[in-house]
Amino acid sequence: MATVAEEWLNICGGCEVAILDIGEKLLDLLPSLQFVHMPVLMDHKYYGQIGEKTELEIPQADVGMISGGIRNEKEKHVAEEMRKKCGTLIALGSCACFGGIPALANMYELQELYDKVYRGSKSTESNNTPSVDLPPLTDRVYALDEVVKVDLYIPGCPMNPAIIVEALTALLNGKPFSLPERSVCDDCPTKREEKSNFSLKRPLQDADFTPGDYGSLRCFNEQGIICLGPVTKSGCGKPMNGGENVPRCVKGFMPCRGCFGPIRSDANPMVDMMSALSAIGLDAKLVEDRRAMFNRYIGGQKRLRPLPTAGRRE
Amino acid sequence: MQNDFEPKIIAFCCNWCSYAGADLAGVARLQYPTNIRIIRVMCSNMVHPNLVIDALTKGIDGVIMCGCHIGDCHYIEGNKNAEKRANAITLMLEDFGVEAERFRLEWISASEAPKFAQVMREVVDTIKKLGPSPYCQ
Repeated sequence: MATVAEEWLNICGGCEVAILDIGEKLLDLLPSLQFVHMPVLMDHKYYGQIGEKTELEIPQADVGMISGGIRNEKEKHVAEEMRKKCGTLIALGSCACFGGIPALANMYELQELYDKVYRGSKSTESNNTPSVDLPPLTDRVYALDEVVKVDLYIPGCPMNPAIIVEALTALLNGKPFSLPERSVCDDCPTKREEKSNFSLKRPLQDADFTPGDYGSLRCFNEQGIICLGPVTKSGCGKPMNGGENVPRCVKGFMPCRGCFGPIRSDANPMVDMMSALSAIGLDAKLVEDRRAMFNRYIGGQKRLRPLPTAGRRE
Repeated sequence: MQNDFEPKIIAFCCNWCSYAGADLAGVARLQYPTNIRIIRVMCSNMVHPNLVIDALTKGIDGVIMCGCHIGDCHYIEGNKNAEKRANAITLMLEDFGVEAERFRLEWISASEAPKFAQVMREVVDTIKKLGPSPYCQ
């Protein structure tokens, strides 16, 4: 029996839903797991059940799971406490692994964000930045491993239930777990002709295909629709009970959005993606909002930052 | 502070022309600043954008890529591809917020030792004016 603590930080809650999405396999796993702390499921408070304690407390656990990146000081504190109390710490989902969608904010200075959100946007009544009884925001969005040591990464937005099962089973049996360094293209069933004779399309323009037939679908990038497959780690299509391994977005006839993150931790997806586009003859210059587009889920770990020259010009 | 700033600059030189040109500059005892670190590559086309971006975001202040003149490439058209890559690199520098002047592509043949020395002097001058790379601060 392994004790499990789960915590959600800067997150939408989709990763917790993905845990439920494990389905029947979860019933096989549950007898060997005991949840001791999980805000999404149970009422276990940080400062004692009636707030009688003065220090944040999370029970000891063999396995800790954290979903979500770190945006404010409270989340940082909780993450540090989790690290102290948990034997193995798992980063669940793209936000915990790389910063996720919220890390797109890393393209701007904190003050710029405050100005935009509380004063600058047209639909907002101009107001002061709230500060009373709120944890202050950190200077940028951090991925979990920038703050505490992480033992195991399960990326995805949300994660693939089959991979959660595989990782947990490996962990319970004391075996190592990591995803193979393969790109989404390696598992992609679409047809590739190496050269594109299209120009770049706008993001919501349709691809050309016959519904239900992957064979009729030509590589999205070659059709002029930006697909982050070439620079994204594979694994999202892994089936739970046998069956075909087709990347999740491609299964819905949509281009890969890049949620599994870089293929290797030291890769530079922005550079690789531009090379991939020019290799098939597309002009990377025409991609709208390039930096955000190519770093959609991976803005943490210093991949996205305010442009240094912009700051210097002020 | 600006005056005693000594930039670190990497020069990627192709084995067949530019590296020989650098060699000749040395043999002829031409003077050029010591800020240049030469890395020999077989062809200018070998310089992947990743190498340039990595260098500029991890502590190098300028990168210069040298190859044979167009038409002289040992590998027929390696330098043509290098030129395409150089254009892409300029575009990427914009995304990383690095000034485009920190990267330069130059054709230097094996006999052009004076040109090699001249280009290196120019590069060091430009970078000294720009100051340290934004990622070094």
